[in-house]
Amino acid sequence: MSFQDTEEKSKSMAQMVWEQFKEHRLALISLFIIGLFIIMALGAPFVTKWTGISPDDQNVFSRYLPLMSKSEVSADDTSNRLAASVNTRLHILGTDELGRDVLIRLVYGARISMGIGLVVALISALVGLLIGSLAGVYGGWIDTVLMRVTDSLLSLPLLPILIVFAAVDLNKLPFFASLVENQSQSIFKLVFILCLFSWMTVARLVRGSILSIKEREFILAARTMGASRAEIIITHMVPNILAPLLVAVTLNVGQSILSEAALSFLGLGIQPPIPSWGNMLFNAQEIITQAPLLAIFPGLLILIVVVCFNFVGDGLQNAVDPKALRR
Amino acid sequence: MTTFIIRRLIQTVITIAMLSFVCFYILSLMPGDPVDILASSNPHITSEDVARLKALYGLDKPAYVRYMNWLKTVITGDLGYSRTYKIPVSELIGPRLANTFFLSLAALGLSILVAIPLGIIAALKQGTKFDYVINLGAFAGISVPSFWLGIVLILAFSVWLGMFPAGGTFTIGAGELSGWEFIKDRMKYMTLPVLSLTALQLGSFVRYARSSMIESMRADYIRTARAKGLSRLTVVLGHGFRNALIPLVTVIAISFSFIFSGAIITETVFAYQGVGKLVYDSVIANDFNVAMIAFMISVAMVLVMNLVADILYGYLDPRISYG
Repeated sequence: MSFQDTEEKSKSMAQMVWEQFKEHRLALISLFIIGLFIIMALGAPFVTKWTGISPDDQNVFSRYLPLMSKSEVSADDTSNRLAASVNTRLHILGTDELGRDVLIRLVYGARISMGIGLVVALISALVGLLIGSLAGVYGGWIDTVLMRVTDSLLSLPLLPILIVFAAVDLNKLPFFASLVENQSQSIFKLVFILCLFSWMTVARLVRGSILSIKEREFILAARTMGASRAEIIITHMVPNILAPLLVAVTLNVGQSILSEAALSFLGLGIQPPIPSWGNMLFNAQEIITQAPLLAIFPGLLILIVVVCFNFVGDGLQNAVDPKALRR
Repeated sequence: MTTFIIRRLIQTVITIAMLSFVCFYILSLMPGDPVDILASSNPHITSEDVARLKALYGLDKPAYVRYMNWLKTVITGDLGYSRTYKIPVSELIGPRLANTFFLSLAALGLSILVAIPLGIIAALKQGTKFDYVINLGAFAGISVPSFWLGIVLILAFSVWLGMFPAGGTFTIGAGELSGWEFIKDRMKYMTLPVLSLTALQLGSFVRYARSSMIESMRADYIRTARAKGLSRLTVVLGHGFRNALIPLVTVIAISFSFIFSGAIITETVFAYQGVGKLVYDSVIANDFNVAMIAFMISVAMVLVMNLVADILYGYLDPRISYG
């Protein structure tokens, strides 16, 4: 009966949100920029294909090249040294301390940094959804225990905890050691740690919305019509929680990108040679007088992307909250 | 109120106790234990020696036994000995705490002084260009990576302008400075870290100040105050701001945790000898005793500040009752 009804209503709700969202000009621009960055990240392998530059190509003879400079690379170092197959490569943003192209590393760094941000936000949203709804729906001692844990975790200073957890040697935990091979171990570890400490806001939010929805008439109506608990949760509660959840996830992406960058900068996150925006800054401080620009670019990209995610989150917040000010 | 405070106090103590065990366990998972490190730097140690040393120091026992041993010694006041600094942890931690305390306090004070007027003005001029610019700045402040901000500040003020030192806590080899000279020397080294921490904190304070002020200026008592014919200044400061202050105080008290997180990065970037840098350095250097104490102190400080915030909230807002 009401199935078609809700379908239509949720669609119009999405339209309303979109219309309201469009009013927030900065949020709209931010969404566009994020889109560009995602396309760039996805297209990274194609960039390598076209230009022939890969992020791991080291070249001792072309270290610290300035912007828009060219380096000469012999096509095949060992066998073809005498052949005249020397081609030049253009380094738009110059090269770093190992002669690697900065631009291509930034492009590949976008894959890691934004990928981790998005994955962490999504996983922690799922975890938060699960814990928040368990607490909200069942109440009682489950609620008390879960919310105590959530509050305790929320009150902790994030970074010291992340540093201590990130320093763990996974090989001492036999279960994890067998789970992943060495190359991507640091990525897996970082995602796991970040997820561990970023689900709490979502859980609180979900629990809060469920508690307020629980008492509403349409839930009572559904219950009197004999709907099961699962049915009520899936068809009535989830759509109502979705809007604030979306806001929280968006803001979480920015936060996760910042955390990843901070840990990688400290040398505890993504391990080289895999480039991430954070670990590109790892030794930027030591060579700051020789190559100040190496320290500028990755941080600038982090700033831009995180600002964009925060603006989109703000725009969504305004759009889904009927009490929010109309701009 | 008293029962509330006691309950929260017990809760805080339990959290700290549980966390200390978790932290102990996690730190024991760090690569290498003290004896392994000792053995790796000395080729004459045989594997039998290693086993004997491990048995001697109880390192072969499971984590919870070692934790209980550690706890027993810490409670008696013996915080252990630092492997990298070669001094007792209790001597190491005091000056570091003072350094971090001054840094955080200066940053907190400065950001409050700047953020609250900006937030109030932005709230009163809602929707104008000024509001727009403040908003943009606040978003940038929230989103900027702390370590990068530090690097940029170093680049601008010490590499290019040469105004401040790039890092450190005080001039090494300057000897015993006294009075004003001492303060001036410290200030020179603290300026950039304080600026960096302040910029990080400013964004969220401005946003909270602005939204809380907007909220309170919409209330009925503002209309009443205006209708009474009070001057605009009295309405804004005496009625609007006083009520906006209540949520702000909690935000500021809770922000201590954030400042502390920020201080780790800021202290590391600027090589400022505070507790945050100590946590990081000891984790990196596998200095177990130091890492454990530095970490526990920082977490305990944050939790106690949260407790203070909760209690303060009750005193400031008589409408809140604690069941």
